[in-house]
Amino acid sequence: MTAASPHAAERFRVLVPPLLDDAYSLAKWLCRDANDAEDIVQEAAVRALKALETTSVDRPKPWFLAIVRNAAVTWMARNRRKDLAFAGGLDDLDALAPGDGNAAADPEALLIAVQDGERLRRAMAALPPPLLEILILRDVNGLSYRDIAEAAGLPMGTVMSRLARARGALARSLKADP
Amino acid sequence: MSDPADLRRLRLQAALDGELDAANALAFERDLAADPALAAEYRELAAVRDAVRRHVPREAAPKGLVDAVLALAAGEPAKPARAAPPPASRARGWLALAASFAGLGFAAGVGLTSLNAPDPSRAVAGSLVSDFARASVAGQPFDVASSDRHTVKPWLAGRTTVSADIVDLAAQGFPLAGGRVAIVDRAPVPTLVYRHNEHMAAVTELPLDAAGARAEGTATIDGYHVARWSDADLAFVAVSDMDAPTLAGFVAAFRAARLSHREESGKR
Repeated sequence: MTAASPHAAERFRVLVPPLLDDAYSLAKWLCRDANDAEDIVQEAAVRALKALETTSVDRPKPWFLAIVRNAAVTWMARNRRKDLAFAGGLDDLDALAPGDGNAAADPEALLIAVQDGERLRRAMAALPPPLLEILILRDVNGLSYRDIAEAAGLPMGTVMSRLARARGALARSLKADP
Repeated sequence: MSDPADLRRLRLQAALDGELDAANALAFERDLAADPALAAEYRELAAVRDAVRRHVPREAAPKGLVDAVLALAAGEPAKPARAAPPPASRARGWLALAASFAGLGFAAGVGLTSLNAPDPSRAVAGSLVSDFARASVAGQPFDVASSDRHTVKPWLAGRTTVSADIVDLAAQGFPLAGGRVAIVDRAPVPTLVYRHNEHMAAVTELPLDAAGARAEGTATIDGYHVARWSDADLAFVAVSDMDAPTLAGFVAAFRAARLSHREESGKR
């Protein structure tokens, strides 16, 4: 392996540094560990630099976050985190649950619960990873549906239903026990 | 996903996320006004979304990580982002891979340090934020309103000393709204205004030798987010009322588009 070409290095310096906060936040939620998140982002940066030898990028944010996501998935497969595995049995996640469409029986309970940041983060951590990643890409990284579909490699309809399931599950979990 | 109840919920959510086009948004607002159950559901989903945004902010990447990533592009061997040696049991194949980016690189010219730079750059950013606030309040964010860069470019060229490089970001969700002239360091310079939903970003292009031009980083001034960077030929200041992650996405898209524009002109 040789050093990056000046061409790829210039692209890299323009595209990647502005996206590191987003990349780190995404990686940290996916792997649940600050140190591991640094490793994942650094690995993603190595992959990105290599890709920039041959690729020019129109939509840098979904492009780089897709690399971060894939680096996180590889990392989790390799580092014994089977509990956070992404693969398998997702079909049931892509249909909305029957209760998802019902407005709060007790809207007050929800409005009080969402004030509690610690409780909200716990409820998020309990979401299945495939739902959580879509929620993070939308509400933390601020991507549009189209960009999420690109970053996660999913059809837009799947993105929309997983996001709805994630938010529905959060609402139910916050309304349930304190 | 053909169940009407599912479709209703997905449409509600798309409305919440600002993903409906104008016609559908109008129809949705009518339904919302006429249907208390729908309105209650909307409020619930909005409460969850707002809580996530408030309690789960985007985190800043640690400095060690930023430095390690910048070193990659400078052709230096990759260093671990953190000081502690990794446990030997872990697979660290990529570190070896990264280390092979060895050699005589050039120094990284771009850093994302915080914007506590000396006064001139602070003054420039402050005055551009005032411009932005004034233009927004006056409801006149640009002097020439056009989504066509072939209209905006000559208009600006006749009035400023910098030849504006105007990129088309409509495909990335940031259509051009127009342009205006800003005065920086007593010289007229071009400012491009891009739109994103109901928000705007104004990008001012400065010559590299303008006072305070070479600052890098992000800041929040008077509630507006400011991002600054420089490329080989020009320095840029973006002021926006978008949230910070969206502005970062805008800046990345803007820089990527300029880069491919330059690469293409280079080939010709």
